Amino acid sequence: MLDTFREVHTPEGVALRLPAAGPVPRALAWLIDLGIRFGVLGASSALLGVLGNAGIGVYLILVFVMLWLYPVVFEAMFDGQTPGKRAMELRVVSADGAPVGWLASFVRNLLRTVDALPLGYGFGLAASLWDPFGRRLGDMVAGTLVVHAPRLRMTSTPPVAGMHAPAHPLRPEEQLAVIAFAERAAQLTPERQEELADIAEPATGARGELGVMRLLGISNWLLGR
Amino acid sequence: MKQAHFVARHEREWEQFAQWLDARAGSPRSARAARAWRGMRDEDMPARYRRLCQQLALARRRNYSPVVTARLQELMQRGHNALYRPAPPRWRRALEFLLADFPRLVRAQRGCLWASAGLFVVSTVAMYLAVRWRPELIHSLFDPQQLAQFESMYDPAAPDARLGRDSGSDLAMFGYYIANNIGIGFRTFASGLLAGVGSLLVLVFNGVIFGAVAGHLQGIGHGGPFWRFVAGHSAPELSAIVVAGAAGLRLGLDLVAPGRRSRLDALVEGGKVGGKLCLGVFAMLLFAAFVEAFWSSIGSIPGPVKFAVGGLLWALVLGWLGFAGRGRSVTAEPSPLPPGRQRGSAA
Repeated sequence: MLDTFREVHTPEGVALRLPAAGPVPRALAWLIDLGIRFGVLGASSALLGVLGNAGIGVYLILVFVMLWLYPVVFEAMFDGQTPGKRAMELRVVSADGAPVGWLASFVRNLLRTVDALPLGYGFGLAASLWDPFGRRLGDMVAGTLVVHAPRLRMTSTPPVAGMHAPAHPLRPEEQLAVIAFAERAAQLTPERQEELADIAEPATGARGELGVMRLLGISNWLLGR
Repeated sequence: MKQAHFVARHEREWEQFAQWLDARAGSPRSARAARAWRGMRDEDMPARYRRLCQQLALARRRNYSPVVTARLQELMQRGHNALYRPAPPRWRRALEFLLADFPRLVRAQRGCLWASAGLFVVSTVAMYLAVRWRPELIHSLFDPQQLAQFESMYDPAAPDARLGRDSGSDLAMFGYYIANNIGIGFRTFASGLLAGVGSLLVLVFNGVIFGAVAGHLQGIGHGGPFWRFVAGHSAPELSAIVVAGAAGLRLGLDLVAPGRRSRLDALVEGGKVGGKLCLGVFAMLLFAAFVEAFWSSIGSIPGPVKFAVGGLLWALVLGWLGFAGRGRSVTAEPSPLPPGRQRGSAA
């Protein structure tokens, strides 16, 4: 399958599927973070400006913290997500799928220096386009990976609507398609349901609304309810 | 087995597992504090997790629908994250790192360390001598405005002035040294990824600037205040830059000559070492910034005191880097697990 899943086999013998994220959502997440950082610095400069010279010192320390420590602290403490990554539903994980640690996060963010060369994250972009898992140089050295981490939207269980045996045996992939239809049916308009069910006419022996009912019935039959 | 039977048989287990993850997996510390938990026992978690993994493998093998596989996959990933997350950092560990592990790690990079120190020292001394020999050389590095600024910062005719700065309070300069110097230290390491060339350039560049300024100020008779300013913080600051350079050179070497490892594996190893070294560099430069802002700049302290303190700091830093952590092994890290799975702390 042509996809950017990285499969990592855990010691328990199952595959973790890590959907690697490409440069565009990551750049957007970075821009969001940049906005937040500038926002914080702008607000604090207005406040600290009142304090005069001491304020300048605190402000410069804050600049350092925002530049170097902000991503590390967020990634290490909040499950690999800076606010920007959270907004874009991204997450930094270790290359073996485990949560990212302090050291790895520190290294990958130190090496932004190199990724940002020659300008505008040029090296980072080139590396992430070349790498099959979209890693920038810092990710390679730190042994980390940025993955999509969508909040799970549970597909509803299909409605129970009687059982119906198909007119002829279905091949495995056809069975999967029928079950997938039943699980997604609630999200489709009735017209679209009928349209799709009509394709399966050879198995259901009916069209239109009856076809939909029978197809749902076949799915129940396959699932064993 | 049909999917519905499979779900009916195991659903309760999955629900218990999900409840445990919701209630206990977030923070082990708060989980230990909450004693009223009546669900799945903590010590059962690994076994239940392995069971879940087996059920997921079965579900996939049997082509069950995403309603089941996606749900199991999600539970499995959350269980995996809880089981294999890195241990939370501890203060005691940080102290051990600074007192033993870091100096040991620095000594382990002996070759890169000498190379880094050599590059810095040679370029500094060469530039110092060159500027003493041909004072006009300084004009190829700085424009007159910058030179005037340097000269006024270390003017022996104004003994009460703050040394090494033209304006700004101690605290403001402390912030400036942190933002500037620690950033330089970090970049010195990171630019080593460019086959080591970046670190090399940073080291030589810093050496050239330092040597040139020193040579120029010595030449025009401002040497006294300059050395009095530099003496205090030179030990932690210069050695930190050298260590950061060594980490960068090591990373570059790992890229250019990975030996019998794959290039990526070598880089990951170099990155781990470099990251740890940078943590130490961070601590050293933080200390240096403190000294530079609050001690070095006091103009009224006589030279001998400054030099004595500077010498003491050099002895302490070199002694620390050279001898701390020898002998007994504080944190030997035997790892019976294969590489890549060395971390792991059950919730």
